[in-house]
Amino acid sequence: MSDVQARRVLISGITGQDGSYLAEALVAKGCEVHGLVRRLSHEDGSRLRHLDGLMRERRIVLHAADLSDRGAIRRIFESVSPAEFYHLAGQSHVGLSFEIPESTFTEVAGSTLALLEICRDLPEPPRFYHAGSSEIFGNPAEVPQNEDSAYRPTSPYGCAKAFAVNLCRVYREAYGLFVSSGIAYNHESVRRGENFVTRKIVMSAVRAARGDDQVLELGNLNARRDWGYAPEFVDGIQRILQHHEAGEFVLATGALTSLREFVAGAFRAVGIDIEFRGEGSEEIGLDGATGKLLLRVNPRYFRPLDPLNLVGDASKASRELGWRPTVRGIDLAAKLVSDELAEGPPERH
Amino acid sequence: MKKALITGITGQDGSYLTEQLLEKGYEVHGIIRRSSSFNTSRIDHLIENDEIYNSRLFLHHGDLTDSSNLNRVLERVGPDEIYNLAAQSHVKVSFEVPEYTAEVDAVGTLRFLDAIKETGLARKVRFYQASTSELYGKVQEVPQSETTPFYPRSPYGVAKLYGYWIVVNYRESYGIHASNGILFNHESPRRGETFVTRKITRAAGRIREGLEDVLLLGNLGAQRDWGYAPEYTEMMWRILQQPEPGDYVCATGEMHTVREFCEHAFAAVGLPVEFTGEGVDEKGICKETGRTLIAVSPNYFRPAEVEELLGNPAKAKRVLGWEPKVTFRDLVTIMAEADWNLAKREVAQKGH
Repeated sequence: MSDVQARRVLISGITGQDGSYLAEALVAKGCEVHGLVRRLSHEDGSRLRHLDGLMRERRIVLHAADLSDRGAIRRIFESVSPAEFYHLAGQSHVGLSFEIPESTFTEVAGSTLALLEICRDLPEPPRFYHAGSSEIFGNPAEVPQNEDSAYRPTSPYGCAKAFAVNLCRVYREAYGLFVSSGIAYNHESVRRGENFVTRKIVMSAVRAARGDDQVLELGNLNARRDWGYAPEFVDGIQRILQHHEAGEFVLATGALTSLREFVAGAFRAVGIDIEFRGEGSEEIGLDGATGKLLLRVNPRYFRPLDPLNLVGDASKASRELGWRPTVRGIDLAAKLVSDELAEGPPERH
Repeated sequence: MKKALITGITGQDGSYLTEQLLEKGYEVHGIIRRSSSFNTSRIDHLIENDEIYNSRLFLHHGDLTDSSNLNRVLERVGPDEIYNLAAQSHVKVSFEVPEYTAEVDAVGTLRFLDAIKETGLARKVRFYQASTSELYGKVQEVPQSETTPFYPRSPYGVAKLYGYWIVVNYRESYGIHASNGILFNHESPRRGETFVTRKITRAAGRIREGLEDVLLLGNLGAQRDWGYAPEYTEMMWRILQQPEPGDYVCATGEMHTVREFCEHAFAAVGLPVEFTGEGVDEKGICKETGRTLIAVSPNYFRPAEVEELLGNPAKAKRVLGWEPKVTFRDLVTIMAEADWNLAKREVAQKGH
């Protein structure tokens, strides 16, 4: 960063999985990174734990403001005047969206709308990245899905994300703003919250290997997902905003893996061969060597509607951005287990 | 006696639907927004009728942005059928007030469905959602049917598409009898004056009577599938009488330009026009006097114009037995004559 002015970027959702990886990557590239964080009356620290290193070294600037506070957000945009804005914030749990559909809309769709409005009014609108989601395809009309596939969301989360992706396109087409959506399929890491299924499985495998007595409870083991590795997706996100043309980009591995296969892969990575017995809500998983119960199905985790065949065709991102993910499916399960073990002993519950 | 609850009861569709349901013997409840000045002109003839108002027609204060209010109204009324017609329904205005549009058109629909689920009415009530051809926006095929992919081009279209999907979602997740009517443009003398059809017929009558000089419009080449509103509200009712919920395109299957609409409307008031010039320089000239009656103003261009909205109502015809009977020419004539009469009345009042 000699005589060249550092690229200034602003990130919403900077404390989350993608936001924290993105902040690290952009800092490493010499960007001046600003982040939006919700103000809490009590800061427990854990929320910012992924940013610990960056904060210690004063490599990022955090601005406290709730996305629902339009005035505060507008002032931050005006004072930071970012060249790029990455909008990653929002309630991101699909199952939870059935319980809290309205706040899911507010956080996912309403905030995107407000941010687009704010950017539209700026003298120099930043390049705008919106974190879309494969959930907009829900029950897809075609397999795999690409940027032109019809949106058919099957959850309140998917409906809200479809709203946001459509709205980004409307703002791009109507006002000529540089607004792009990454339509990302599941992408996982050790920074996922434990209420997400991959992290839950990985943590359970690590604990089982340590000999802890615990039984992993999961929903539909036949559910299949296109799972990738979050740091690779964060690389895709950056490429999207550096591209000469704004648009929608599917980010996906193109491989479908069932929950059952993922479980088997994670346990195999810690040296346990899991055997599945029974069917449907009666299905259980046993330690093949000892016969110990490791997993049972709990219908509590069934979704009212489970998307089928959500698998992405990322050939546009590959062709136009040169983006090619390498970690997928069962390899991902093993990768997450080794990352987890490298992070040190997991906290006990 | 069946009970119906209608949001947007003071609007064009709400008022026609109310009349039709009362005629079918329903008890009708309407939700109206609280405001310092009531805009109930379209249902005043019902409110002023003592045999109807507060005996078979009831109005409740409410707002789609207030969940607890929706819950209370639902519990008090206990409706068999709900028609969710309330919306910020003006496409161009939605670019100016997108957040409000989203709040009412998208979240309002969600709040309603969630209230139905929470009040235990999910198995009893039937829900009609006023969806719109604006969902198709930049059309992916012509004509558009229930299976055509959506491509909304305005904040209004995006918000309405959320409403559409959340209806499908609540139907599939919770078994609610919830249906979408994907209505193409439907017009009548009760259409709001800011909508292009009404703006044209109103101007035709007023120019004819010397109350105005010239009509300014946006894109004259824009094409629409225009039907007659009372036929479309009849279809809403038919959708809710089906044993199974579903989504239906409601359209005439014919497309006409704004220019054609103008020609018929001005001819109906005795001012035949012909168009000359192109783009912003295009003008509608009176064939008899050579006066310019219609001109183009870029102020009325939409940021992103929607083209070739043409509906395929085959499913509605097959399943519901619904077919529109009022032709395009009839529709324009009905509207132009009604507005001409209003203009004549205004002149007469001024004369006194």
